[in-house]
Amino acid sequence: MIEAKDLRKTFGTTVAVDGLSLTIEPGEVFGLLGPNGAGKTTTIHMLIGALSPDSGDVLIDGKADPTRADVRKKLGIAPQSISLYDELTAEENLRFFGKMNDLSGGLLKERTAWAIEFAGLAERRRSRVKTFSGGMKRRLNLACALVHDPPIILMDEPTAGVDPQSRNHIFERIEALKNDGRTIVYTTHYMEEAQRLCDRVAIMDRGRILALDTVAGLIAAHGGQSVIEAELDRPPDDADAIDGVLDGTSLRVETDRPLERVAALAEAGLSFRTLQVHQPDLETVFLSLTGRRLRD
Amino acid sequence: MGKVFTLALKDLTLLRRDLFAMFWVVAFPLVFGLFFGAIFGGAGDGARSAMPIVIVDQDQTDGSTAFIDRLDASTAINVEPSDDPEASRDLVRRGKRVACIVVRDGFGKSFGGMFGGESLLEITIDPSRGAEQGMLQGLLQEAMYRSVIDRFRDSTVARESSQSSIDSIRADEGIDPIQKAILLTFMGSLDTFLGTIDPAMYEDAMTFDGGGGIETVEVETESRGPTSFEISFPQAMMWGVIGCAAAFAISIVQERTGGTFLRLRVSPISRAQILAGKGLACFLAITGVLVGMLLVETLILGVRLGNPAGLVLAVVCTGVCFVGIMMLVSVIGKTEQAVAGAGWAAFLVMAMLGGGMVPVFFMPRWMYMLSHASPVQWGITAIQGATWRGYSFTELLPSCGLLVGVGIACYVIGVRVLAITDR
Repeated sequence: MIEAKDLRKTFGTTVAVDGLSLTIEPGEVFGLLGPNGAGKTTTIHMLIGALSPDSGDVLIDGKADPTRADVRKKLGIAPQSISLYDELTAEENLRFFGKMNDLSGGLLKERTAWAIEFAGLAERRRSRVKTFSGGMKRRLNLACALVHDPPIILMDEPTAGVDPQSRNHIFERIEALKNDGRTIVYTTHYMEEAQRLCDRVAIMDRGRILALDTVAGLIAAHGGQSVIEAELDRPPDDADAIDGVLDGTSLRVETDRPLERVAALAEAGLSFRTLQVHQPDLETVFLSLTGRRLRD
Repeated sequence: MGKVFTLALKDLTLLRRDLFAMFWVVAFPLVFGLFFGAIFGGAGDGARSAMPIVIVDQDQTDGSTAFIDRLDASTAINVEPSDDPEASRDLVRRGKRVACIVVRDGFGKSFGGMFGGESLLEITIDPSRGAEQGMLQGLLQEAMYRSVIDRFRDSTVARESSQSSIDSIRADEGIDPIQKAILLTFMGSLDTFLGTIDPAMYEDAMTFDGGGGIETVEVETESRGPTSFEISFPQAMMWGVIGCAAAFAISIVQERTGGTFLRLRVSPISRAQILAGKGLACFLAITGVLVGMLLVETLILGVRLGNPAGLVLAVVCTGVCFVGIMMLVSVIGKTEQAVAGAGWAAFLVMAMLGGGMVPVFFMPRWMYMLSHASPVQWGITAIQGATWRGYSFTELLPSCGLLVGVGIACYVIGVRVLAITDR
């Protein structure tokens, strides 16, 4: 279990993290969602002990110092930047980081082979990293965090700048890790990633957690109603009977039950030329909480 | 300790695969040492380069020819005859020759006269070659003195000169009568002396011993002076050392900005171990470069290993010093560009002052004094001391002590700064 209690970190006059508290349960995939500069990376770095908080505490499995060797063995980090040695091969990178995490002999060989397979780089295992595509580097970056089989994995924007194919590969691997019972802390500014992968999500902005819950809970609490937008074949005969905003043949309806409402409109004799249903998502939640979009 | 070696091995592998870094660490020092060794050594034949001067003989007499021949006989200068004074002076102005000497008309006739007249020897010298100016004047004085001696070795010629002087004194109306009488008495006595002395005894008396009893003794460095490669290779070695230090300083900042340092920090390994691995790799690279260059020096170029045990000490101390400097340079800036720029600037100043570019004995006095503050100079002194200078351990201690002391101080400061900026 990871516990952060009232963490605060400043760089000069900039407050990067301001009184952050959270608890991450074992086996949970926990998302830190926020725009660039929200304080996600600083939070991750404090959780793993790479940065010292100005105040507050971090506990990993109840131990107060994340820099202790026995605690660090439990941690794997996939940094936001591609943290690999370009002039080494994929296999050499994995073996090196395995050795740094106390692997040796047969276990090192076994785990290196597993990590190569995990990254989907079996055919390029002896190629230097500098010859890899962005997606291959991202996969290897993640594999290096896992080579020593840590129960807690921190992934800082693990899909930044990758092609859709590699992104899907990474998603599948993370889901496999989740099913394997690992604790995963996942930072992103892509709401669809958080929605797909995370059990719970903390929405961060300007160093603070604005809301923390399951995806469904956040949407229910802060997402508002679904929106139906339709273009009708012809204006309705009785416009006053429609519970929505009608402008000629354009109709907009806000509702908590969009499917039922569409069925009701069809029964009322409306004929749709086009129909779109916008359900609230984490983007809507962020907009509702901050008045800004995630990628502003 | 195993992790430190693993870290060092990784860094050495990265260095070996980085062709650009390898150029500065291996190829450049080797080319530097061979190139400058060959140039200063007359393409390796051991001959020293002479000072190039141009001489215009407007007198064209036996006296002027003998004078020029005497200059030409000196190994310190290389005489090039010319007929055109203006073109010759222009060569000096453009820095192509160190000096131009014009032997004016009348030089041979008046040479050896007892009393001075107009200047018959004109010297134009490159103002930037102050040291050579003094040396050239000394050589000219020597050649003139030898010519005077040759002239007086023949008593008939000597008496012609004294008779000529007596005639000149008698004809000169401007001299005070009393002074004229004294001079005529002296010159008459000299003329009588020259006419009566035994010629054999006279010849023996007229000798030149190279400066009034001065004896030149060679410095005892085993059996001979240093070859040009013994001068150029220690300089070249320091360039290899600098290349290693720069490469590893940049690699530290690359690890910090690239995220691998963060990944290592999260591993069960301390910051001290990470930096020790980097330091060990740098030390091994420096040692490898120095040993490689020394092998080339000794096995191919025949350079002497005066004090092998002392040489081991010099190599180790140089390695320790530049590992420390590497660590300090690595925290100069936060980006690769900043560290590379500022680091190389610092290393260039060290090399320039420390004799890495120009040997310190060619430097002006003030710069020579400054060179004592450069680790490059300490390294060169230690390596030269342990090779051809034949220093004892006691004599090596000042250089080696400075190298180790400064290295440790720089390392400690660098690690502290890194720890503070990494919080």
